Amino acid sequence: MMSNMKTMFDLNKIDSQGGKVETTNQQSEQAAINALEVRNLNFYYGSFQGLKDINLDIEQGKVTAFIGPSGCGKSTLLRTLNRMYDLYPGQRAEGEINFYGQNILEPNQDLNLLRSRIGMVFQKPTPFPMSIYENIAFGVRLYERLSRSEMDERVEWALNKAALWNEAKDKLSQSGLSLSGGQQQRLCIARGVAVKPSVILLDEPTSALDPISTGKIEELINELKHEYTIAIVTHNMQQAARVSDYTAYMYLGSLVEYGKTDEIFIKPQRKETEDYITGRFG
Amino acid sequence: MSDKHLSSQFDADLNSLSSRLLEMGGLVESQISTAMRAFTQMDVDTCNIVIENEKLVNDLEIQIDLACTELIARRQPTARDLRLVMAVSKAITNLERAGDEAERVAKRTKRLVESGAPHNINVAEIRLSGQMAINLLRRSLDAFARLDTIAAAEVVAEDRQIDEEFRGFVRKLITYMSEDPHMISTGLDMLTIAKAIERIGDHAKNIAEFVIYVAKGADVRHIPHDDLVREANKP
Amino acid sequence: MNNTSNIDQGIFAKRKRANKIGLTLSMGAMLLGMIFLLWILSVLLFKGLSAIDLNLFTHSTPAPGSEGGGLANAIVGSLLLVGTCTFISTPIGVLAGLYLSEYGDRSRVAAVTRFVTDIMLSAPSIVIGLFVYAFVVAQARHFSGWAGTIALALIAIPVVVRTTENMLRLVPGSLREAAYALGTPKWKVAFKITLRAAQSGVMTGILLALARVSGETAPLLFTALNNQFFSTNMNAPMANLPVVIFQFAMSPYDNWVELAWGGALLITFAVLGLNILARVVFREKVQA
Repeated sequence: MMSNMKTMFDLNKIDSQGGKVETTNQQSEQAAINALEVRNLNFYYGSFQGLKDINLDIEQGKVTAFIGPSGCGKSTLLRTLNRMYDLYPGQRAEGEINFYGQNILEPNQDLNLLRSRIGMVFQKPTPFPMSIYENIAFGVRLYERLSRSEMDERVEWALNKAALWNEAKDKLSQSGLSLSGGQQQRLCIARGVAVKPSVILLDEPTSALDPISTGKIEELINELKHEYTIAIVTHNMQQAARVSDYTAYMYLGSLVEYGKTDEIFIKPQRKETEDYITGRFG
Repeated sequence: MSDKHLSSQFDADLNSLSSRLLEMGGLVESQISTAMRAFTQMDVDTCNIVIENEKLVNDLEIQIDLACTELIARRQPTARDLRLVMAVSKAITNLERAGDEAERVAKRTKRLVESGAPHNINVAEIRLSGQMAINLLRRSLDAFARLDTIAAAEVVAEDRQIDEEFRGFVRKLITYMSEDPHMISTGLDMLTIAKAIERIGDHAKNIAEFVIYVAKGADVRHIPHDDLVREANKP
Repeated sequence: MNNTSNIDQGIFAKRKRANKIGLTLSMGAMLLGMIFLLWILSVLLFKGLSAIDLNLFTHSTPAPGSEGGGLANAIVGSLLLVGTCTFISTPIGVLAGLYLSEYGDRSRVAAVTRFVTDIMLSAPSIVIGLFVYAFVVAQARHFSGWAGTIALALIAIPVVVRTTENMLRLVPGSLREAAYALGTPKWKVAFKITLRAAQSGVMTGILLALARVSGETAPLLFTALNNQFFSTNMNAPMANLPVVIFQFAMSPYDNWVELAWGGALLITFAVLGLNILARVVFREKVQA
C-alpha cells in the first residue's frame, strides 16, 4: 500500500532542483550542508566484505572524488549511494546512508523514487534504442507530466546543460546510437540531468573516451556542480585533482583518507595516500 | 613501506634534481670560501678566480630550473614530490644569489686593493661572520640532503647570530668613519662586504625553511620562530 | 637485421598446409549442402512451375477425377491457420521469453519453464497433433481450424520463447542498469528498453517460428484435416497446403499430382522468403 511506502520526502515540497535546502549564491563557509552522510557502512558480496566501516560526508554543491587502486571498493561505494546493488541478489549493505537526513538503506525505501533523485552515469555510454529526443524524454516522463512544448523545452535545456545542444539540435529524431562515443556519453549525462536530481553519481565517466571528449565532460562537471552535488569515481588521479573539491582515497574496502583535494594532493596526511598519489607502490 | 616509484626513471629524475642542487651548493660554498680568502689576504688574483667562476653558478641555475620544469611537464608530481620540485626551484635561486654575494665580496675587495686606500680596520667580525655564513650554508644543504628538519630549524635560529655580528660591525664602522673622514670610502666598501655576508646567511636560512616545507608540508617562511620549531618537530 | 629470422620454416609450411586442408573441407561441405538445396529447388521449379497460373489462386481443389482446379482454398486456409497461430503464439511466446530473461533468473518456475520449452522444441509434431486431437477434436467431435491453430501454436510457442529469451539476454546489462538508474520500474525496463533493444532479434525469432509451422503437416492431419471446398469457417475442417500436398501427391490423378508440386513449390518459396526476410530485418537493425 502506498501509505506504507516511505517516499523520499513530500514531493510537493521539492522545488525544481529536488530535495535541496535553499542556499544563497554566495560562498557561505558556515553552513556546509551534506547531501549524503555515510555512517558505519559495511557491504558484502555474498560472504566477501567489499566495504569496511565507511564513514564519509558528501557535501552539497561540491564534487567529491573517490580514488584508489582496482578492487579498493570505490565503485562499490558509489553504487550503494543509489542502491544499485539491489538489482543483484547476494549483495547487501549494512549501516546508514542519510540522504538529506533520510536513511536510504531502510527496507521500505522506494528505490525507483530514490534513483530519480540520485542519478548515475556509467563508464560505458548507453543510449537507449530510441531517438535522441526520446532518450531524454523517457526519464522525464517517468515522474512528470509535461506538455509537448514543455517537454521540448526540457530536452533543449538538458542538452544545453550537457553541451550537446548545438551538435544535436538538428537530429533530435535520429537514433541515440548515431552519435559518437563522446557525444553518447554527454547524451547520457543530459538524460541524467533532465530529471533534475539532487545528486549525480559518475562512475568513471570518461574512461572510454578520448582526451578531447574527456576535457569537455570535465568542463561540464565544473559547470554542473553549481546546481548539483556530484560524486565521481575515477582511476585517473589527475582527473580527480582537476575536477574535485574533496577527494577520498580508498584501499581494500576501507576509507584511508578523506579531505580537501588541494590538501590531499599537496600534503596528504597518511603515507598510504601519499604513496598512491605519487606512484609509489610497495 | 616503499620509497620507490613504479617508474624508475621518475626516481632517477628526482634524485638527479636533488644531487644537482647539492652540486650547485658545493660550488657556491667554495666561491664564498675563496672570496673570504681573497678578502683576508687582500689578493687580487684570488678575487679574479671568484669573478670568473660566477658564470658557472649562473649556468647551473638555468640548467636545474629547466630540469624542474621538464619534470613537472612530464610527471605531474604530487604531494612530497611536488614540494621537492618547488623547493629545488626556489633553493637554486637562493644559491645563485648567494653566489652573486660572493662575487660582490670579491669585486669590492679588488677595488679596495686597487684603490690603494688605507684599510687598517679590524675586520675580525667580517672574517668571523664569513665563517659562520659558510657553515650555515653547508649545514642547510646537508639538512636538505637528509631532509632533517631539526637541523634545518637550528640553521634558521643561528642566522640571527650573523645578523647580530653584522649590526655590531656597522656600529664599529660608524665610529671609525666619524672619527676619520678619510676612512669613509674604505668603510663603505667594508659595509658592502659585510652586508653581502649577512645576505648569504639569509639565503642559507631560506634553504633551511624549504627543508621543512618539503619534509612536513608546512610553509614556514615569515612565521614566528617558535611556530617554525614546532612544525619542524612534528612527527 | 632479418625480421623473420626466428620463424621456423617447417612449422610455417605445416600450418599453411593445415589451413589449406581445412579450407578445402569446409568449402566441400558447403558445396555439398548447396548442391542438395539447389537440386531440391530446381526439381520443385521444374515440376511445379507448370502448375503456377492464375487458376492456382482462383480455383479450389478439384474433386477426384475432375479436371483443372487450383489451390485457392488451401492457400487461404494455410494463411488463416498460420495467421491465427501467429496471433496466439507471438504474445504468449514473447511474454514467456521476457519473463524467463528478465524475471526468472533464479526461480524454480523459470527453470521448469525452460525445461518444458526445450522438450517441446524437440517433440515430434505428430505427437502434438495427436494430443490436440485427443483433447480438442475428440471433445468437440469434429475437426476444426481452431484445433489446427492450437496444434501449430504448440509448435511455434517454444521457438518464440527460446529465441526471445536468447535475444533479450544478449542485451548488455549496462543498458538495463542505465534505465534503472533513472528510476525506471522493472516492468518498464523490460518492455520499453530491453525488449525494444532486442526487437529485431525477437522479430526474427517470430518469423522463423512462422517459417517452421508453415510446412508442418502431421499435426494438421489430426486437427484441421482438410476441406475440399473453399471455407473460412475455423470451426470446421480447414483446407491447407501441406495436407493437400500429402493427399494429392500419391494420388493416381495427373492434375492432382501437378497441383501437389505446385503447392510444394509455393510452400518452399514462402518459407525461403520468410527466412531471407528474417535475415534482412536482423541485419538492418544491427547496423543501425
